[in-house]
Amino acid sequence: MTENIHSAPQNIYKPAIMKIVARHDEAPGVRTMRLEFQDPAEHEQFKETFRTGMFGLYGIYGEGESTFCVASPETRKEYIECTFRQSGRVTSALASADVGDLVTFRGPYGNRFPIEDFYGKNLLFIAGGIALPPTRSVIWSCLDQREKFGKVTIVYGARTVADLVYKHELEEWQKRDDVDLVLAVDPGGESPDWKHRVGFVPTVLEEAAPSAENCVAVLCGPPIMIKFTLNSLKKLGFEESNVYTTLENRMKCGLGKCGRCNVGSVYVCKEGPVFTAAEVALMPQADL
Amino acid sequence: MSIEQQYRTRAKELLSSGEVKMVIGYSKGSTPDRRRPAFISTPEDVETLVLDGACIANLSGYLVTEGLLSDEKRVAVFLRPEGIRAINILAAEFQLNAAQVEILGFNTEGNEPTALSGSKVDDFAELIGTLKGIIPDTAGEELYKKLEAMSPQERFDFWQSEFSKCIKCYACRQACPMCYCRRCIVDNNQPQWVNTSSHTLGNFEWNIVRAFHLSGRCVECGNCDRACPVNIPLRLINRKMAGEVLEAFDHFAGSSQTQEPVMASFKKDDTETFIL
Amino acid sequence: MTKILYTDKLDNCVERWRSAGLSVIGPVRNANITAYRPVGSAADLELSQILPDRSIKELFFPQTEPMMRYSIKKDAINTEECLPPVGPRIIFGARPCDASGLAIDDPLFGWDYKDEYWFNRRNETVIVSIACTKSDEFCMCTSLKLSPDSTKGSDVLLRPLESGKGWQVEELTDRGREAFKAIAELLTEGAEAAAPTAVVAEKFDADACSEWLRNPENFESRFWKEISVRCIGCGSCTYLCPTCHCFDIQDEGDTFTGIRRKNWDSCSFALFTMHTSGHNPRSTQSARWRQRIMHKFNYFPGKFSANSCSGCGRCTRQCPVDMGITETLQEISKLSQ
Repeated sequence: MTENIHSAPQNIYKPAIMKIVARHDEAPGVRTMRLEFQDPAEHEQFKETFRTGMFGLYGIYGEGESTFCVASPETRKEYIECTFRQSGRVTSALASADVGDLVTFRGPYGNRFPIEDFYGKNLLFIAGGIALPPTRSVIWSCLDQREKFGKVTIVYGARTVADLVYKHELEEWQKRDDVDLVLAVDPGGESPDWKHRVGFVPTVLEEAAPSAENCVAVLCGPPIMIKFTLNSLKKLGFEESNVYTTLENRMKCGLGKCGRCNVGSVYVCKEGPVFTAAEVALMPQADL
Repeated sequence: MSIEQQYRTRAKELLSSGEVKMVIGYSKGSTPDRRRPAFISTPEDVETLVLDGACIANLSGYLVTEGLLSDEKRVAVFLRPEGIRAINILAAEFQLNAAQVEILGFNTEGNEPTALSGSKVDDFAELIGTLKGIIPDTAGEELYKKLEAMSPQERFDFWQSEFSKCIKCYACRQACPMCYCRRCIVDNNQPQWVNTSSHTLGNFEWNIVRAFHLSGRCVECGNCDRACPVNIPLRLINRKMAGEVLEAFDHFAGSSQTQEPVMASFKKDDTETFIL
Repeated sequence: MTKILYTDKLDNCVERWRSAGLSVIGPVRNANITAYRPVGSAADLELSQILPDRSIKELFFPQTEPMMRYSIKKDAINTEECLPPVGPRIIFGARPCDASGLAIDDPLFGWDYKDEYWFNRRNETVIVSIACTKSDEFCMCTSLKLSPDSTKGSDVLLRPLESGKGWQVEELTDRGREAFKAIAELLTEGAEAAAPTAVVAEKFDADACSEWLRNPENFESRFWKEISVRCIGCGSCTYLCPTCHCFDIQDEGDTFTGIRRKNWDSCSFALFTMHTSGHNPRSTQSARWRQRIMHKFNYFPGKFSANSCSGCGRCTRQCPVDMGITETLQEISKLSQ
């Protein structure tokens, strides 16, 4: 677990007001919104606090708050981007908000990816489906200071071609020669013109076989994918302490009080959401 | 042989012969006057079963525990007449197959248990017929009469004071064999029909919703009342509703496993006195 | 010689405290239940019950409380904070287990982020506890390294006199001393003996239990299913518990105005950890009961150096199916031998 940085406002539950300045549909039911602070002081505080990996509680008064990561990188703090799937009460309300509308935000909370520790190392990013957003925050945080890192490999898979998010950025990464992008969709999810791989992320990863030598892996995805991908990483020679992931437990306060995200000895909201695979292995697996 | 011993023997036979996979009964509790639900699956363990005047809880709700009856094996359960009526309702509402339930029927008169003959729910039809309109447990009857004599305003004030104690722990719901919904209306948030907050308004909403959902279904076993940690006399609400349903529709909940749910069925000769 | 407060002076004390601007709170019996409530005079106090039916936590962490009011206009969202109505208070006649419970939760509400709703009330409340001379079969403070006369969390501890006519006064904190200045002249110096405190038998070995719980192998033990098979999944144990602190945040109102509230919530409820996707990390009641026990006797003490239990016994006393922490820990004590 890495150091936790934050500074608390007076009332820790009072959200900031944000304006939606742009929105973009990524995939069926999945939307990205770009939000801007309305209060300069709150924005200053965010700039001081935010590091990649932290999360926030995004809300609409009258509906509630919902937890997801800050999908924008720590190298771009003029705004906050978040990407969410419309599924519950709050995300449905957020999905119906338009550019110019106001929403609430609390955060950033939690710990972060210790990217200074990654300097000079090769980076392997692995994401599945809607879990690209947290990974994307780290990816850009690193690409925006590309010279500090070695080889960058991104392995991203989704169920179908339609389910791939950040399609425009995938294209951009594809074009860069300092990024090695491996794209895949599950068998049956390919479109007739799909030129990339077909297969599940663990298989695709093993085929791509990035070297574990001097390499740090960042792995985000649904629990089942994480489980099998960890096996694959092990086969490739990755140490569990060199694999980072984020947990997405249900949360209400985000501040280590409400008890909801407690799993094993950690409060995911305060001591997470970023953990190494070695740390996750110490948690009671049945409660994840 | 004491009735307790007789029932242990019967439970043992049922388990040994493989006729049932489990016996749900009572065992000793943490104090001399407490009994707790017991789940017995081996013949040797039947000796821990207790049957006496303190065996009051209605155990029928455990039968709808997710997965318990899904293997089509049978389960035996100790039930007083209210519990047997509950089986009828659960069967009528398609929550269980009554053929899977072996009833170890008993009653408690005063402090002594008495045996009820029969093992299938239909065996008790005659008995249930004789109980129609009789309040199974008259606890709180004095208060009930007092409430009946009150003006609507006084009665409202009484319930306001009672409901203001509610902490929404949902012990009433969880203890109730009729509250079997996998997702209770209060747990739905799209839309949010009922406030989840436990302020007086939210408490009114919850308790009134529950009273309505139990009208014509409550068997007056008293589980909710005994479960309530803040001592709200919940049984009186349900007793009132049961009385109203009996009077208006001649409906005595749990009379048979083919009885139609009174609030979910329409008959041409239904009384319409409530339509203004 | 110790300071003594005689019962017949209590009414005067209540008056003095009230005129000094303190609201006086104590165990009050109303509508068939005893809870900590405001009192107008000493006559309102119900001090003979072993302990109030409801715990003291609701005075610091109510079952529901407004956090903020919102109003939404065309181009603005207005948030109006609702901090708790504060003002100095004195709780007279708390039980040591209840007072300890508050001290147990302080570090949780204060680690890094301070919960104002909790601390604004904590900072303005004087807690006067009365040592227990009676107990019942559910009391278990001594199993938690506390006792019928624990001072943890109290500002003043009163020990009932043998004569039953008053209490020996032990002022523990500056806040307690300050509050008792207001009634200094109503106290008497005396040597009257205190009644013996209640004898509460040790029911389990909490340290051995914690050790058993810390062993990862025991997480998947069949024990959890067996011990919780009759649990019906209500929240009464968690809501009556003086240390259970889980809560929900809920909005009430419409699109334009409303209130955001902090409501009690319970790890016993199936929906507590349910993800929107339908995935539920703790989908069975036995997993939920395990979490409650693990949290109280393994995770919480690992973080905040005390078990999240003060031994009041309410969980067992009120459980509709006669479960509770006592039996579970007694069984774990056996397993750990």
